[in-house]
Order: sequence, then structure tokens, then C-alpha cells
Amino acid sequence: MTVTDVPIATPSPVLAAARRRGRGLAPVLPALALIVVVFVIPVLALLLRSVLEPEPGLQNYAAFFASTTYLKVLGNTFLVAGTVTVATVLLGFPVAWFLAIAPSFWSRLLFAIVILSMWTNLLARTYAWMVLLQRTGIINRTLMEIGLISEPLPLINNLVGVTIGMTYIMLPFMILPLHATIRSIDPAIFQAASLCGASRFQAFTRVMLPLTASGIAAGALMVFVMSLGYFITPALLGGTSNMMLAELIAQLVQSLLDWGLAGAAALVLLVITLAIYMVQLRFFGFGQARG
Amino acid sequence: MTFLEISNISKTFGKVAAVNDVSLEITQGEFVTFLGPSGSGKSTTLYMIAGFFEPTAGDVRLEGRSILAEPSNKRNIGMVFQRYTLFPHLSVAENVAFPLRVRRRPAGEIARKVEEMLALVRLESFADRMPAQLSGGQQQRVALARALAYNPPLLLMDEPLSALDKKLREEIQDEIRRIHRQTGVTILYVTHDQEEALSLSDRIALFNQGRIEQLGKGRELYDAPRTRFVADFIGHSNFIDCAITRSEGGSADIVLPDGGTLNGISLHGAAVAGARAGLMIRPDRLRFSPLGEGAEPGIDAVLTDATFIGETYHVVLATGWGASVNVRIPASRIRPQDLTMGTHVRLHWEAGDARLFGQ
Repeated sequence: MTVTDVPIATPSPVLAAARRRGRGLAPVLPALALIVVVFVIPVLALLLRSVLEPEPGLQNYAAFFASTTYLKVLGNTFLVAGTVTVATVLLGFPVAWFLAIAPSFWSRLLFAIVILSMWTNLLARTYAWMVLLQRTGIINRTLMEIGLISEPLPLINNLVGVTIGMTYIMLPFMILPLHATIRSIDPAIFQAASLCGASRFQAFTRVMLPLTASGIAAGALMVFVMSLGYFITPALLGGTSNMMLAELIAQLVQSLLDWGLAGAAALVLLVITLAIYMVQLRFFGFGQARG
Repeated sequence: MTFLEISNISKTFGKVAAVNDVSLEITQGEFVTFLGPSGSGKSTTLYMIAGFFEPTAGDVRLEGRSILAEPSNKRNIGMVFQRYTLFPHLSVAENVAFPLRVRRRPAGEIARKVEEMLALVRLESFADRMPAQLSGGQQQRVALARALAYNPPLLLMDEPLSALDKKLREEIQDEIRRIHRQTGVTILYVTHDQEEALSLSDRIALFNQGRIEQLGKGRELYDAPRTRFVADFIGHSNFIDCAITRSEGGSADIVLPDGGTLNGISLHGAAVAGARAGLMIRPDRLRFSPLGEGAEPGIDAVLTDATFIGETYHVVLATGWGASVNVRIPASRIRPQDLTMGTHVRLHWEAGDARLFGQ
């Protein structure tokens, strides 16, 4: 194998001809139609309502940014998404590394656990955390019995609970892309680094981190963006005083019937998400593992 | 003075002894090759010196000091790997600078050294390229520059050319020889390719089943193999089955399958009268003459095939009991009309060219 034969996508004449005739698009149409009907149109409708209700103008956006309550919700959202992202990187990296280097029995077992946990019903997993985290839950009882604390820790109905629950739920979305990146690195490179005189720490910072940066970025983007708009876990594990943006939107629509303000909040979330995605594209291409 | 001393090292994986009681002394500036088939323990031995495997028993001393307690990043040993191990995110110059950077050398020294090393491997103009933009041969030359950048007293090379094609291999072999001469670094080189071993090394350690079967200059291994394995692995050999009728000191008398006898052949390995043995003669040491010209000792045979392969003829003969024997004869020493199929001839050789190996 030579290193020069990097696969270059050569345009296939057959495909190109099909594309000219517009036939290539036909199989995509059903899915495209579905996306337009259930995603694009409702989102556009919501965004329109944000500038049309109760009367045309930007008053909904002005209200959103003028309210300290709403800005605090925005802050909470970023705080939780950021903390969850950092926590999944720190917790996921060792797991992804182990998956890549462990003997096949152990790596398959761990892989199965990660995937199974992703496949388990989200509500079931979140309720399980409620059981674990509540005042009389297993965690608090255990800590009190071994005498570490005298009063139950407030682990639920606040951002701590939301962060713990979401970190757990987001972990696979960090582990999977990171694992793909780490697995593409030849372990002999680390032997070479060691013989070159690099300590474990130097091998990590000078070789491992740069080579896995694209995987970390891909995982972090996925986790951060998903966390920004997450609803179920914050709704169940969070409190009413410290909401996240998705909860606020739901409340505005369901309880206050304020579609205009809800649309404004949704657009703010969408713009922020797109901005982060653009930054990611700028620095890491499409977030693919380096080849 | 002994520079590198490997004493009685062994390595077992589970119940398998990958390396079994290997000892070796190497002097400074020497080029020693570990040669052997795959799984013979040659790479495992190298990896123990590098610090990637811990020996089950034994010691490795470099300049009189045991290095086994040190992790590989403290051993100050250079190594070129079989696979391409350049850091893909660093340019050629940054790769060569890497070992100096982690040693926190001053920037001026690093720049000078990188320039010097790239000149050594003749890749000055590639300093800013990324590894992915280099051919396999160029990558291995950069790896060599990186491994020598910190002036290691010892350079390990683990089949560095096995991923390259033949022409490129020969080119880089010349480079390695030149760099060895130029730097005087002590080199331990692992390969399964005997031509590579013969053309590069001062001495060859031939590995078989975790042990060093024979250690010596390439010519010694070829001319005076001590075991049948060595005779078989280095160069081509004919082994003619026979039985020992008398053995005394280092020599024996034998009887061939057709009842013919040969006396006083040098014997290697324990063998008593009655034991089976192999009579080894190199194809280039065998001659044959028309029957009746009275060359002794000899074996009667029939010419069955002759191929001109440039410079030499490769001739195949069949003995009376059906064994086939290969002979190589320089084209200048034989006329094509003497190579008629079916001709009855007598195979003969100089007394010193036949060796007997007990089985």
C-alpha cells in the first residue's frame, strides 16, 4: 500500500448523466417530502408567528432578550450543555480508548453495554435516574449510611440532576465517534513516541490529542447541539425554578399559549446551533475521522 | 569491549517460549542482524531491548549498565519500525524535531540537528511536507532521521523495508549501509530476508524457535553451517538421505540408499552408527562428469533438467534411488551439448564441501 493513493471521488459518467436528467433525485423525494411537511413547514410557521403575533414586528425578540428570566434560561441551557459536553469528553475518552485497544472479548462486551444503554427507552432510563437521585434514593441513602453526609444532597429537581442524567444519556454519542477516530491510529505510533523519549503525558498531549482532535470535535458537537434542545431529561430531573430552553418553549406553547414568544425562543436556539455548526465546519471539515 | 550484552534472556507468552535463553555480545559500531523465519523470536528479542516487552528471565546491559528497569522513553534508543510510524499531524521537520522537543533542547540546536539529519537521509527539500505526501521509502528515511536525531548509542530496526518493493528495498539498503558508515551507530536489524541480512550485516544471529541457532559472519553461516536448519535457511542446499555406518570425532562414514559408501565426511550434531543423516552439499559446489572419468567420491545420477538463468545453469539430476539433486554451474564452464537430458553422469565434490547433519 502506498500512502499516495488517497481515494479521490472520481465523478462517474453514469451518475453524472442521471443527475443531468434529474433522475438521481427521484428516490429521495419521499423522505424529502416528509421532512418538508413535518419539519420545514412547522418550523417556518412557528418562526412566522414569532414575527407576526400578536402583531407584526420584533417585539417577541425584544421581550425575550429583555427578560432576565428568559436570559437565565438561555444561560442555564448553555451551562448544562457545556458541562455535559466536557463531562462526556472526560468520561468517554478512556472508554473509547479501551474499546480500541482491549482484547476483543472485553471490547465487545463494553460495546454491547454502550449500545444497549442507547437502545433502552429514554423515559425508562430517566425514571431510573429519578429513583437513584431522589432525597430517599439509593445514592443519598448510601452516602448517609456510610456517614459521609448527614442531610440528603439535593440531586434532583435542579441542574445537578439534569447534568448527571444528560451526561449519562449523551455518553454514547461521544464514545462512538471518538472510538472510530482512535481505532484508526496505529498503536505503533505510540511505541515510536515512547522510544523517541516522550513520557506518557507527552505522548498524550503531543500525539494522542492532536490525532483525536477531530473525533473529540465531532462528538462534542453532537453532544452539545443535542443537549441544547433536549427536553425529556430536563423536564423530569430538573426543577421549575431552573429551566432549560426546550422546557421554556414547551411551557410557552402549552401553558401560556404564547406562540409568538415560543417561536422567538426556538429561532434563537436554531441560530445558535447553526452558528456552532458553522464554527465546527470551519475548523474540522465535516467532523469526519481523519483518514 | 562489550557494548551491548544480552545475557540469557527468555520471554514466555502463556506457556509458549517465544525467546528461550538467548545470549549475545555486540561491540560498539557493529551491525548485527537477527535473521529467522516468522515466529522465531527475533522481533520479540528486539522488543525486549526496546522496552515494549519485559523479559521473563535474563538481562540486557548497554555500556555495562542494565537497562531493563528503565521505561522505553528513558532508554535513549532509536528505532525504525516495520509499519510507518511518522506522526501524521507533524511535518517531516517536526517529526525529526520531536525527540529533541520532548527533551526540551534549545530551538537553535533543534533547527541545526533537523537540518543535519535531513541532509543525512537526503530529504532536505522535503522538510515541510506532511507524511501522507511521502512515498513509503521516503517515510522510512524520515523515520531513520527521527530515530538518529538524538544521537542514540543503539539503533533498532524491525523489518523496516518489508513494506517496500524490491527495487526500493535495495536502494534504501545502500542508504542504511552508508548511514551506518557515516554515523558509526551500533545497529540491531531484524529481517526474514537472508539477502538483506547478508548484504547489510557485520554478523548475523540466525534465530530458530526462540534460540540463536548460529551466530557469525554471513560467509561463515554459508560456508560452515553448524546445523541442518542453518544450512537449509542460508543459501540453497541439497540434502541427500543416508545412514551412518561409523562415527568418530567429527567425521563419519555413510551408506547411501543404493548401497554406495562414502567415508570421512565432516559430521555436525550428535549421531551414532545406524542413525539416519542428511548429506549436505551446496548446488554451486557440486560438479558432474561423464561416467567413467573416475572422479571420487561420487554419486551416479541421470540429468533430468537444465535451465539457463543468466550467468549460470540450474541443472537437476536424479540419483539411482530417485532423489533429485540441484547443481548450479557457471555458463562459462559448460557447453550446452553436455546438458543432454538422460545423460548418465557422476556427481562429485571437493572433500571439504560435504557436511553431514544428524537427524
